[in-house]
Amino acid sequence: MRGVMMLAVSAGAVATITAAVLLLPGDGGPPSARAELPAAVSPAPGDPLTPDEIRRAGDIATDAGPRAHFAAGRAELLYVERDDGKSDEGARRAEAYVYDYGTDTLTVRTVDLARGKVVREVSGTGTQPPPSKREETRAAELILAHPRLGEGMRAAYQRAAGKPLRSTADLWLRGLIYTAPRGDCAEHRCVRLFVRLPDGTFLDTSRVVADLSAKKVHILEW
Amino acid sequence: MFLRIALAAFVIAAAHATPAPRATLAAASGARPAAPAGNAAPAGSVRTAPTGGAAACGSPYLVDQALPNGARWRMCWEMRTIEGLTLNHVVYTPRGGAPQNVLRSAALAQIHVPYDSGEPRYHDLGSLGESAIALTAADCPGGERRGTYVCVTTRARGHAHLKDGFGDEEARRSRQGEELVVLSGYQVGWYAYVAEWVFGDDGSITPRLGATGSLAGTVTTPGHGWPIGVGRRHFEESHSHNVFWRLDFDVDAATRDAVEQYDFAGTGTKRRFMVRTRFATETRAVNRRMRWWRVLDPRALNADRHPISWEIDNSDSAEYRGPADEAFTRADLYVTQYHACERLATQNPLPRCRNSVDRYVSGERLTDPVVWVNVDFHHVARDEDADPMPVHWQGFRVLPRDVTAKNPSP
Ligand SMILES: [Cu+2]
Repeated sequence: MRGVMMLAVSAGAVATITAAVLLLPGDGGPPSARAELPAAVSPAPGDPLTPDEIRRAGDIATDAGPRAHFAAGRAELLYVERDDGKSDEGARRAEAYVYDYGTDTLTVRTVDLARGKVVREVSGTGTQPPPSKREETRAAELILAHPRLGEGMRAAYQRAAGKPLRSTADLWLRGLIYTAPRGDCAEHRCVRLFVRLPDGTFLDTSRVVADLSAKKVHILEW
Repeated sequence: MFLRIALAAFVIAAAHATPAPRATLAAASGARPAAPAGNAAPAGSVRTAPTGGAAACGSPYLVDQALPNGARWRMCWEMRTIEGLTLNHVVYTPRGGAPQNVLRSAALAQIHVPYDSGEPRYHDLGSLGESAIALTAADCPGGERRGTYVCVTTRARGHAHLKDGFGDEEARRSRQGEELVVLSGYQVGWYAYVAEWVFGDDGSITPRLGATGSLAGTVTTPGHGWPIGVGRRHFEESHSHNVFWRLDFDVDAATRDAVEQYDFAGTGTKRRFMVRTRFATETRAVNRRMRWWRVLDPRALNADRHPISWEIDNSDSAEYRGPADEAFTRADLYVTQYHACERLATQNPLPRCRNSVDRYVSGERLTDPVVWVNVDFHHVARDEDADPMPVHWQGFRVLPRDVTAKNPSP
């Protein structure tokens, strides 16, 4: 197998971009595909979580966390997933995925919605669940802040759209987790991004990895 | 050797543009409407208790479909953030028979996409629930959309059976089969995936994934690709789509399930001898010609007193085998003891849990087996793959084996 070499490019230049990302409890967290339907008055045990349950679970799970981390923008609620475990199937439980970029720790808090509290918490390093919507945006911001890549992205957008790029909201983004056996992305939260431009073309981002923990961009060599 | 244009990275992307904006993509581009489109719940679908106990879910998540031959399928769907479309509590009721619990849970567990030059190597899950493509009525012919991202429909599947009457019209037996389809689509980069779960009126289950959308547009050397476009300038890089499904079978009940492997010895001779291997502990298995597996509850018997079981056929995989640090590619089927935290075949999202399916196999005794099926497709692009790329399917089959004592179809 060929080695994958990581090049850290210009770490300092982008450090300020994401420092201000705060978890804002009550903003509903990331949009959720499964919460699109009107809430049933009282969901059946096997129904997906309702938008209200997702919101409540997110609030309860982030209340239970070390608030200092949230306030400092180091920890963030990624999303809330229904607990689909087979034990105690009748209970309505939600799993809140919280990532702390300072310690590269993933915490999954299981919220019992009837009791309104966290009933289980599991934390560990080296586990990277898929990127959230907010992380996709942040990855694009890191790339835009990169001197050369940012310039390239703006130029490509200008060509495709005939007007300047205003923000990452102008781009269609899809993120995938990138991990490597060695190097920064063995521990950090690293995201590979697909970027679609308004003319239907995609940027060639296959070698570009946004490191959300280090707040910098790696360029893969192979 | 023809280096890929290195650090100019995406600046040159416009050169290998994938033109033709796609309608579905435009609809899904980035933001999706916050409010559900006006196609939500089918009216009148109430939480009735179908034969054989209450459903675990209500409208619009309950699928309860009787097919013309009297077979019935019931299940609950959920669009999960990570796994996307997930089917729970799948129950098959043969005509005139009792409801049979088949699957507690079934979902995609990974799409691993390594390119033939060695890089890149994508793991396409990806929050599939967030990648779901808004479906139009045309995406769901003859069926109904449940919300924006899921289609439930039925369609013809050709002959269910044919038996000549030898001149006697009364004795002639011929029937056209039907199948229930639950599907969703996902936009992952330039690719669109269509994930289908097909439930036949013969009790069969066919999970399959179709890849469509656009090619990556990745330029490579002739040794790793195929010339598309004019002449021999653009060699599109070949790659694999290694798809993993997770099937938590709960035949009858959650415990006591067992998994067996069947082989037929005697290659090169006239005779074949059946060799049955019961997996007592967690196992990885590879495909062989004639080999198949079945999940059974040894104490759940049909009217002939044969164990009710579900057979798994997985013979059309390209059987991609990757490097040592991708050991999950090195088997075609894994059987693991149920653990709530083991949900994906690679990049498993839960902390303090093993990371990939090959590591789930750790010698535990099997009482509640989960089956992971790996079906690989090696995609060597062709000229016809120009936008919109024709869908290429990959999947496998689950068949009822002795669920009923006879063919239940009229
Ligand atoms: Cu392909």
